[in-house]
Amino acid sequence: MDPRASVVDTSVYVHFPWCARKCPYCDFATRRVEVIPHRAYADAVLRELAERRHVLEGRRLFSIFLGGGTPSLWDPAEVARVLDGIREAFPASVDEVEITAEANPNSLSTAQLRGFREAGVNRLSVGVQSLHDAQLRFLGRLHDRTQALDALEGAVATFGRVSADLMFGLPGQQAEAWSQDVSELLSAGVEHVSAYALTIEPGTQFGALHRLGKLRVATEEDYAAMFERTRDVMEGHGLEHYEVSNYARPGARARHNEHYWRGGDYLGLGAAAVGCLSEGSGRAFRYKNEVRDERYLAAGGESERETLGPDEILREGLMLGLRTGDGVDVEALSARAGQDWRRGREKAVDARLTRGDLVLDGSRLRVPPERWLWLDGIVADLF
Amino acid sequence: MSAPLSRIRNFSIIAHIDHGKSTLADRILDVTGAITKREQKQQLLDRMELEQERGITIKAQGVRLAYTADDGIEYQLNLIDTPGHVDFSYEVSRSLAACEGALLVVDATQGVEAQTLANVYLALENDLEIIPVFNKIDLPSADVDRVIREVREVVGLDVEEVLACSGKTGEGVKEVLEAIVRRIPPPKANEEGPPRALLFDSWYDAYRGAMCMVRMIDGTLRKGDKIRMMATKAEYEITEMGVYTPFPTSVDHLGPGEVGFFAASIKSVHDTKVGDTITLARTAAEVEPLPGFKDVKPMVFCGIFPTDSDQYTDLRDAMDKLRLNDAAFFFEPETSDALGFGFRCGFLGLLHMEIVQERLEREYGLDLITTAPSVVYHVYLNDGSMVEVENPSRLPDPGLIDRIEEPYFTVSIHVPSSYVGPVIRLCQERRGEQKGIAYSSTDRVVITYALPLAEVLFDFFDKLKSATRGYASMDYELEGYRPNKLVRLDLLINGDRVDALSAIVHKDNAYPIGRALAQKLKNLVPRQQYEVAIQAAIGSKIIARETVRALRKDVTAKCYGGDISRKRKLLEKQKAGKKRMKSVGKVDIPQEAFHAILKVES
Repeated sequence: MDPRASVVDTSVYVHFPWCARKCPYCDFATRRVEVIPHRAYADAVLRELAERRHVLEGRRLFSIFLGGGTPSLWDPAEVARVLDGIREAFPASVDEVEITAEANPNSLSTAQLRGFREAGVNRLSVGVQSLHDAQLRFLGRLHDRTQALDALEGAVATFGRVSADLMFGLPGQQAEAWSQDVSELLSAGVEHVSAYALTIEPGTQFGALHRLGKLRVATEEDYAAMFERTRDVMEGHGLEHYEVSNYARPGARARHNEHYWRGGDYLGLGAAAVGCLSEGSGRAFRYKNEVRDERYLAAGGESERETLGPDEILREGLMLGLRTGDGVDVEALSARAGQDWRRGREKAVDARLTRGDLVLDGSRLRVPPERWLWLDGIVADLF
Repeated sequence: MSAPLSRIRNFSIIAHIDHGKSTLADRILDVTGAITKREQKQQLLDRMELEQERGITIKAQGVRLAYTADDGIEYQLNLIDTPGHVDFSYEVSRSLAACEGALLVVDATQGVEAQTLANVYLALENDLEIIPVFNKIDLPSADVDRVIREVREVVGLDVEEVLACSGKTGEGVKEVLEAIVRRIPPPKANEEGPPRALLFDSWYDAYRGAMCMVRMIDGTLRKGDKIRMMATKAEYEITEMGVYTPFPTSVDHLGPGEVGFFAASIKSVHDTKVGDTITLARTAAEVEPLPGFKDVKPMVFCGIFPTDSDQYTDLRDAMDKLRLNDAAFFFEPETSDALGFGFRCGFLGLLHMEIVQERLEREYGLDLITTAPSVVYHVYLNDGSMVEVENPSRLPDPGLIDRIEEPYFTVSIHVPSSYVGPVIRLCQERRGEQKGIAYSSTDRVVITYALPLAEVLFDFFDKLKSATRGYASMDYELEGYRPNKLVRLDLLINGDRVDALSAIVHKDNAYPIGRALAQKLKNLVPRQQYEVAIQAAIGSKIIARETVRALRKDVTAKCYGGDISRKRKLLEKQKAGKKRMKSVGKVDIPQEAFHAILKVES
């Protein structure tokens, strides 16, 4: 038994709600403002942290993620205040706390990079999306190919640990050009790639265009082909496909995200941030903060809260864990949910095991990567 | 002491659904002082939750009321409730046989409906005194004069005395009660003769067994009597006797003309057949059974299977319980290659089937897959023998069959004259044979057709309603069996015949039905990891093929801390949609697919 079993590893997500420009495909809680209230926002986040401090008792800081929005627009001095505040608020932390910040290539000056590094950020996730200018324009990005490669070079030099986001399934995107992008990124020193398909979300510009029939999207066939092609290219470069949309060199996985997929606790800070904290076995609560930035600045507060019981904990545990190559430790999950994971889903589990959609290896339940394209249907069956 | 015959009035209420029968019945209980205001809150005569929801009374009941009329005499009024749907017309006829009169309740805002007519004719056949009552006169749209005219012209009844009332406000209800006393004749009986009781309703009581609701035709039955059921020949001892007032009240005997219930440690309602005659064991040899008894037989069959095979035992227990209280419900175990272990069930008609399915799901919490309803075919084999086939997949090898006969109904459809064209078109499409068209009034027509029952099952009601904008109403009765060119249409999924999807269809329509059905199934079967081939076949000949393309991608790109709840809820919804699916081999087939044949346009 771990003598510190009662210590709960907890990650922190800090949301930065502003962008220099709203991308036409993005449905995150972000918007464009003329003047970013750097200091006031840091104050608001620290105020929230102080209000939540009582729930941090018995917890150990595991990782921090600065997402958005475009957190690379934030004044590094304010970032430093927030990160210091977080570290100070936890009674303990793991030996090496991963602190990732999301960044856009066009907001990455040398000074900014150095500032983030000094504030404590030790990993950068860069929103490259594509290395083709036409595609970047289509996506409404403010950077071009040259800026992207320059930014990556700077980021790798400053942080060492750099991840890049790439998008596939763009209209007219050819598999050849796509694998070339991947190769170039990896030559630039990137150790981790998040490769997403362009998803049309309702309530976005792309969503509206799509509804009007003015936006072509990749067909299922194209998507499936790209998905499989991506895996081949990545694996050819020595990256491991460790989650549906994520690839890493050995030892370079995103610890913060792995913590989500293992069903770990996380504190959410900032406008629209979501947090989820367990309260012993079989019970947890999740909250979402006030979404509107002005309101959050003025008063903070939550917009939603839900309680999770054993059933929800089990479903989420399976849903998240089965996205990963490691799968779910079902015994640990049962302990966390306070209920046997198989109960009520014996038939579905057996049927899927027989079909080869699931593999049970000791206490590890996995979906083989070649079945990930059908993951949602498999998981829904287990609900 | 029994009431003298001259002070007994036995009557029922005939009304179309929604014409206010229950409300009027409640008001009668109120005016006679049988129930208090508080008790009125619930409409007492409808027992089951489902009945209340659908506005259909399934079980007849007899309520004894004491009413002191204007002549100063206290009368015993027995109100006998009747089921209100064509599926139960035999039960209605037995309830009516227990009465000397009936109130014909007509909604003064609506007019006369076809279903009501069917029951009026039943009442006339039983020589009942019919008293028209015009209800809902509290509503501004009530048009009593028009509805009186309709009763005269459509029903052919004299309206000598206009009884207009409102079950809601109570206005005119007293006059209705006076008319009952004055116009309905008292029962006639051989008062001192050997007892004969008409069993007109029965139901199951968990503590007392099957309960019998009877009308004494002759003589007296007493608690402790040894009785004999003349049709089933079974003998019992009456352990308990009572009347509803409307609350159950014990009595020690039921005298001539009276209505009441008894218990006799009878195992199930299958031993208490509606329409049977009850006498004493020792007088059985000397009395004649009452006329009109029929052993009701299910007309419509379907397969009922648990979605989850673990629920098989629960399903059987639930069906056992339902059968205790539903003599017309039949079931026996059945095994389907596609659906596993389940039951073949028989019903009086479509409504009866729906009610049973709903009760199994709602009251017993079962998830069911039901197959499309089928009729009973008479299959004559070359060796001269006949087999009854109620499951299309069990049709014998065509080489052995001499001919197949299918049941025909005589269907009477009442419509405003402007809809005659569409109704005739529909009946012709459904292989109907016209038997007559008659004007029941200047603008109302009764169209009579002989129709194969199978065609009536295939979405006929809905089609009829939409062809006539809801103005048509219909009733039907069995005409008999007729031979036809019938073949079995099979459906194959990935090359394997799915027995639960087989149907018996007319040879001339088999090709278009097969094509349409394959197409329908293509749209109903969700895409899965593998391509699914759907074929329609007659014998070994494939007549249609459709392909459900493989699902190439079913995965959400991103899932991080902020997306988890939303994603979980999406998958929960997806799961809920899958509940009503059955895995046949590797393919998930939704419930609707098994009923697709009903909606096919050939």
